[in-house]
Amino acid sequence: MEKAESKNRFLVEMRQVTKAYASRKKLFSRSSQQVLALNSIDLGIEHGEIFGLVGQSGSGKTTTGRLLVKLESPTAGEIFFDQTPISQLKGSRLKAYRSRVQMIFQDPYQSLNPHLSIAETVMEPLIVQKAGTPDTRMEKVIHTLETVGLLPGKAFFNRYPHQLSGGQRQRVAIARAIVLEPQFIVADEPTSMLDATIAIQLFKLLGQIKETFGMTLLFITHNLAAARYMCDRIAVIHDGHIVEVNTADNIIRHPEHPYTKKLIKVQPGFKYTR
Amino acid sequence: MSLLSVDHLSIGYQTKKGLLRAVDNISFDLEQGQSLGFVGESGCGKTTIGMALMGLLPENAVILNGHIRFQGEDLISLTETQWQAVRGAKIAMIFQAAMNALNPVMPVGEQIKEAIITHQPDISKTHLADRMTELFDLVDIPARRMKDYPHEYSGGMKQRAVIAMALACDPALIIADEPTTALDVIVQDQILREIKQVQETTRTGLVFISHDIAVVASVCEQICVMYAGQIVETGTRKEVFKSPRHPYTRTLLNSYLSLDNLNDIRVPDMKESPDQMVETNECRFANSCPACSSACSGRFPDWIDVSATHKVFCCNPDMIRRGRGKS
Repeated sequence: MEKAESKNRFLVEMRQVTKAYASRKKLFSRSSQQVLALNSIDLGIEHGEIFGLVGQSGSGKTTTGRLLVKLESPTAGEIFFDQTPISQLKGSRLKAYRSRVQMIFQDPYQSLNPHLSIAETVMEPLIVQKAGTPDTRMEKVIHTLETVGLLPGKAFFNRYPHQLSGGQRQRVAIARAIVLEPQFIVADEPTSMLDATIAIQLFKLLGQIKETFGMTLLFITHNLAAARYMCDRIAVIHDGHIVEVNTADNIIRHPEHPYTKKLIKVQPGFKYTR
Repeated sequence: MSLLSVDHLSIGYQTKKGLLRAVDNISFDLEQGQSLGFVGESGCGKTTIGMALMGLLPENAVILNGHIRFQGEDLISLTETQWQAVRGAKIAMIFQAAMNALNPVMPVGEQIKEAIITHQPDISKTHLADRMTELFDLVDIPARRMKDYPHEYSGGMKQRAVIAMALACDPALIIADEPTTALDVIVQDQILREIKQVQETTRTGLVFISHDIAVVASVCEQICVMYAGQIVETGTRKEVFKSPRHPYTRTLLNSYLSLDNLNDIRVPDMKESPDQMVETNECRFANSCPACSSACSGRFPDWIDVSATHKVFCCNPDMIRRGRGKS
């Protein structure tokens, strides 16, 4: 899997990926109906880019993220990471994959274990992946906490999530995601629970981290303005279909699909104050 | 006489560490048919104001001083029994989490009927049925969905049902606390239109609370920007969002991502929020203020008039009147 130079421009590629969930109409009925969360989508994320996936609730954007980090498996189709089909990863190779791909979840109030101190939270991936020695791990954790702007890192060691603000918690979640220096991070609505002044600081941080570590990022959001601010390219997803992919600027300036146009129209702005 | 007049209101919370001043010396007026938006970040006290207007403050809250006059009546002195005649009937609330505001084991229609019957026990069956059809029509839910349970509704429909419930008794004042926060942009857009349209047709007074400045800008004509329990800037939406004067308002606007302001984005350097346990004589925003100078230290901000409607709470009248400052 280690390839210094890839012929393919895509780090992550989804080919004809479909994800169906069974839904039961009635509580006890046997017949089940299928809900297609993703309907045969094709998507390529280039090395080193921030790729935005924009859509409304239920469009399949979170499902896409979960498939990519292999929290779930597609019903049909294949996902390639660095040209390797990830459905075939098992055992140690799957574990290695998990260290190269990380996720930042939406809700920092739920994604952190309340019983673990900040040091334990950020150190856990290192222990699971048997990276480093206890001493170097400690160093690494301090360094990572400071990278995400929790200064001084040591001061946060023995704190617990409930002692932190929402923004600080999300920084811890980011620290946990980057501590293994993954190649690819899926950020699923990382700021939708946070205030604007906090969100913008986290966006800046994610951008810096991407630059420093040369990571590739999938940024999932319902906020087109945030996606435009953060991303190189944006895909708009609607009802399990990718309806449009383009550079961030073009998708806002020259939207082609009616759904994209609709999304742009409903974006809150200050048109009433003009 | 104003529909609602809040005068030097301060509300504190008793905590283990002492009294936290969540709302600090706040005054505003709202006329019939007007809409007033409170905007600010988590913990600035905007929800506490909403709860105080509904008489729903939690037990550890204390009204330290001030008055809330609604249609000339002082709400603070009301007993719980007296409140029951006001709440829902004259002042109604659209709650933050529509998902949790509905009773999951009762059809939506029944819940709204309950709201009407509570305040109008003598209403005839035909009148009630008419009113129900009218309400569902007003918020664009097909009447046949009355018998459905909340889980059979989508998120947007639940929020509409909550709006219908707030409108049930034709209140004079509606308080909407983050009514669209849990919804995605398309549904949010529909709900905001709904609220605006209903408010304009029924000429109800509206107090709209949100952390999202663009949402507030799209619904309300009058704006109050709050920081750490205080109103720091107030004016018409054009004044506040087009020519913001307070450094905090500028910070908020500069960090808000919308499709038309990408070039003005500046990442603020927000310090820890101020300690609201103490009664301070200094500006609460000083610590994070990009325009704070030595002239500010030790001074308590004053209200500075920019226009008849536009007022700013700051220590630096020259900067505010000039309309320019570093931010």
